[in-house]
Amino acid sequence: MTALTMPEGEAPILEVKDLATHFFTRAGVVKAVDGVSFSLNRGEIIGLVGESGSGKTVTGFSLIGLVDPPGRIVGGSVKLEGQELVGLDDAGLRKVRGARIAMVFQDPMMTLNPVLTIGQQMHLALAAHERVSKGAARVRSAEALTRVGIPDAASRLDAYPHQFSGGMRQRVAIAIALLHGTRVIIADEPTTALDVSIQAQILSEMRELAREMGTALVWISHDLSTVSTLASRILVMYAGRIVEEGPTAQVLRAPRHPYTAGLLRSLPAMAEPGTDLAQIPGTTPSLLNLPEGCPFRPRCERASELCAKNPPMTRAGERGYRCHHALEEAVSA
Amino acid sequence: MSEAFISIDDVYKRFSPRLSMADRIVSKLGARVETRPVRAVDGVTLNVERGQTLGLVGESGCGKSTLGRMIAGIIEPTSGSVRIDGKPVMEGGRKADTRIQTIFQDPFASLDPRMRIGDIIAEGPFAHRLVDKSGERSYVAGYLERAGLDPSFADRFPHQFSGGQRQRIAIARALAMQPDVLVCDEPVASLDVSIQAQIVNLFLKLRREMSITLIFISHDLSVVRHVSDHVAIMYLGRIVESGPTETIYTDPRHPYTKGLLESVPKLLVEDDALVHFKPIMGEIPSPLAPPAGCHFNPRCPIAIDLCRSEDPALRPLGPGHCAACHLAQ
Repeated sequence: MTALTMPEGEAPILEVKDLATHFFTRAGVVKAVDGVSFSLNRGEIIGLVGESGSGKTVTGFSLIGLVDPPGRIVGGSVKLEGQELVGLDDAGLRKVRGARIAMVFQDPMMTLNPVLTIGQQMHLALAAHERVSKGAARVRSAEALTRVGIPDAASRLDAYPHQFSGGMRQRVAIAIALLHGTRVIIADEPTTALDVSIQAQILSEMRELAREMGTALVWISHDLSTVSTLASRILVMYAGRIVEEGPTAQVLRAPRHPYTAGLLRSLPAMAEPGTDLAQIPGTTPSLLNLPEGCPFRPRCERASELCAKNPPMTRAGERGYRCHHALEEAVSA
Repeated sequence: MSEAFISIDDVYKRFSPRLSMADRIVSKLGARVETRPVRAVDGVTLNVERGQTLGLVGESGCGKSTLGRMIAGIIEPTSGSVRIDGKPVMEGGRKADTRIQTIFQDPFASLDPRMRIGDIIAEGPFAHRLVDKSGERSYVAGYLERAGLDPSFADRFPHQFSGGQRQRIAIARALAMQPDVLVCDEPVASLDVSIQAQIVNLFLKLRREMSITLIFISHDLSVVRHVSDHVAIMYLGRIVESGPTETIYTDPRHPYTKGLLESVPKLLVEDDALVHFKPIMGEIPSPLAPPAGCHFNPRCPIAIDLCRSEDPALRPLGPGHCAACHLAQ
């Protein structure tokens, strides 16, 4: 069905279908990701939004095969330019990771090796997938650093990660992800640890990069407003499932799922200063014992007996939502 | 003019680096050892009226937490004074007043994992004789309820609670000391959006019902706008602009405030709004070596020569509104 909605002549670069990742813990099976499907076109940026425990990070990890035991991908498929990644062995994954699909993490201090210079690390990243001379590696590394807005890149190659600020380190991590002309970058809360002014710089640079190089981005974040400035499409996750998806502006202007609506209403930016914020009652459920049926049911004001049955994804044009009692299509603008 | 409820008068805080062994020996022998202190807070003067909420905003390293800690009586200013209700908050290196309490960012770090919730809340009031052993349980129950928690939680341990609930426990603990002033250092930064709304509402309720004076420190401009009456924007240890919340947000005069407000991603944007998205250039300089003149001049789009040589003072621009910029009109 997804194939039909694609623009003609261009196959999606990444196609995820019914992806399910479960963690087999002593306390029980945690269904961290439970049937996630979406597709991503060349140069497209999609925002994967959710609160902690919604499964957005595990989704990102599953896409590039970084799920460690007790977690396991138990079903579904991830196709990168037609190649199936689920079930690929370590050697196969290593060929793909870093070369065609890469990940940028929240904390760049954890991604970068503190005892190697930036240049050495970038050389290693290049050498992992192709034969390069030291000189050629330096030239390409400097180019990549310049692309992400690091001034005086050639001389910065000899610096160590601790000599960079948080924002610069995150830029280095992005530059490494871009080294091989990566098709897809999965970015997991990449600006959450940064200051607002630095975040703004990186956001606008990322959008430029996606436009110029055709790199597609999966931007994982808890922050709706960051995603809204960046992503053309938004996927809202709750308890391991996508509960709502669609073009960013449409979803944010007129959400169909009560959870998305509640999330938006609870933002201070949406309320008159000083007045009480609308709040979603309760807390996110434990993934160990999810309520029967729709997982949002206990917190939902629109819930009825019907919600004891899990709602399927209802699609209408570019929008989709999982709710028996979806909100009206358009509230007056 | 009578003194404001909280009066912060020309406060400085410098942190000097620890000397290495070699440097210490050399300096004992009479040689001069170059040390550059970090000027975390660099001459701040502020007043807060009783029952008002002051939002302290700035990026990391701007000194907002250090200033908050001086108001809370946790650290002592290098020079200058912080007075609450006419009395200094610190005397002889110790906090002199229990009517100021603090709520920290990380409720996982600020609650002792080995203590029961009831003991966590009662410890302070008991030590300061606000309650005796016989009244302890009902006292604790009252404050748990006030923070929106079930009184039966008193027998549980912190690990049994989620982040939002822990932050409520931290709030209950602070309230149990019957404070007049609450210093909140990024109290909602580590919480999920839906939980953040619950805690923000709790602060609004406390302010309404208990007429508490709040110092609300945050990097999140939209939360600060929501809870504060007044806002002070800090940059590299100094206040660059302060004034009534709506004035600051609708009519910012300092280029840094303007840039900061423009850097906040908007929830609803027109299709190509990012084209007009003008982030502040460059990075925050090291507080070890702040630039001469106006600290913001290397990043400022409108800086002139004067800004590189002369430090702008905070100038009044309107009712309660000041900015430290040579060019602000």
